Amino acid sequence: MNASNEKDLPLGTTAHYANMHKWLQRGLFVCLVCLVFEAALSFPLIAMWMGWPTLTLTEVCHEMEKVRFADDSRECIVPYPLFGPAEAKGQKTAQDTWGIQPRPHYKRIGYRDLVKFRDERLAREAAGARLRAERDVALKAGLSAAQPQQ
Amino acid sequence: MTAITNSQSGNFGNYDAHQSDSAAAQLRADKWMISGTILMGTAILGLFGLPLFLYGLRLQINAAKAGLSMRPTIVTLIGYLVIIDSALNSMGWTLDLFANHTLVNRVLTTGWGAMFDGGYFWHYNELWLGGAGAPGEKAWEIALIPVLFCARLAAAIGLLQMKRWGQQWLIVTCWMGVIVWTGYNTNMTIFADIRYSGVTFPVWGWWLYDIWYITPFLSLPYLHTVNREIFSE
Repeated sequence: MNASNEKDLPLGTTAHYANMHKWLQRGLFVCLVCLVFEAALSFPLIAMWMGWPTLTLTEVCHEMEKVRFADDSRECIVPYPLFGPAEAKGQKTAQDTWGIQPRPHYKRIGYRDLVKFRDERLAREAAGARLRAERDVALKAGLSAAQPQQ
Repeated sequence: MTAITNSQSGNFGNYDAHQSDSAAAQLRADKWMISGTILMGTAILGLFGLPLFLYGLRLQINAAKAGLSMRPTIVTLIGYLVIIDSALNSMGWTLDLFANHTLVNRVLTTGWGAMFDGGYFWHYNELWLGGAGAPGEKAWEIALIPVLFCARLAAAIGLLQMKRWGQQWLIVTCWMGVIVWTGYNTNMTIFADIRYSGVTFPVWGWWLYDIWYITPFLSLPYLHTVNREIFSE
């Protein structure tokens, strides 16, 4: 490396390490740009993956709890009391294979699966309610048919 | 003595003017880059901060091309990237440690956990301390936020001021970063069932998301090979 080339190098970089410093600088720039994009877009993209805006953020929170603890009755408490106990303290419903290396059995959450899970659950609940109503009607009809005979 | 000083005052004057012009140009560029970095460190506002940062970086590069004594570009990138890396890491982990029952955390962190790292989904908010309950995770958070990231932030500020202690402390804290990457990934590997079972993008997704935090591995080769005389005592 001749003297004029040495003078072209950034301050603190010797000719021997010039190439390495050049590639490190490129790598650092790529990392910075990627980190900024990733950090800025994480929240909106995760929320969209989980079903927002079809589901509100609170509903997303409810649905994730139902998956995590395998319990359709679980709901996020929003806002949570400031010094309350941990939300899931003492829960008994989560499904795991317990051992020295526990293995969870919750469902994998694909793109907007939480919307699907919510709709399926609501349909199940509606079908259950309809069945119960039909059974009640049938019971009442049976009773009223039986009463004159008494 | 007086005569000598007077005869050289023109030279010193030129030197001083060059120095003060350089310092003013560096400060002007840094004001843009600091503003950009504050926004980028908030994560969600990062896209507003990036153009400010890039404008400041361009001002610095142009001033150097014009002949002023500016901080080397790679030192600028390392310093500000370390600040952003520490800010983002600290914010995510501080949410998990202290704000684990907020709605934003229960959507962002557990959503991220379900997609990339089951440690942030599995039995979340069941531990008495709240937040992630994966083995070892809370210990990493408590150790790294106040010790590693605070020290690394301070070192990065010293480095940007071209102080020798800044370069030395950044070397120390980047080596701590190597220990963190090794320890953290070993922990995740040993408890891989918790970290990756039922996760949408297991292992490769985690690496794709987290690889951009490898700042220490890119900083250390430079910090060990730069001519340290450029940093002042």
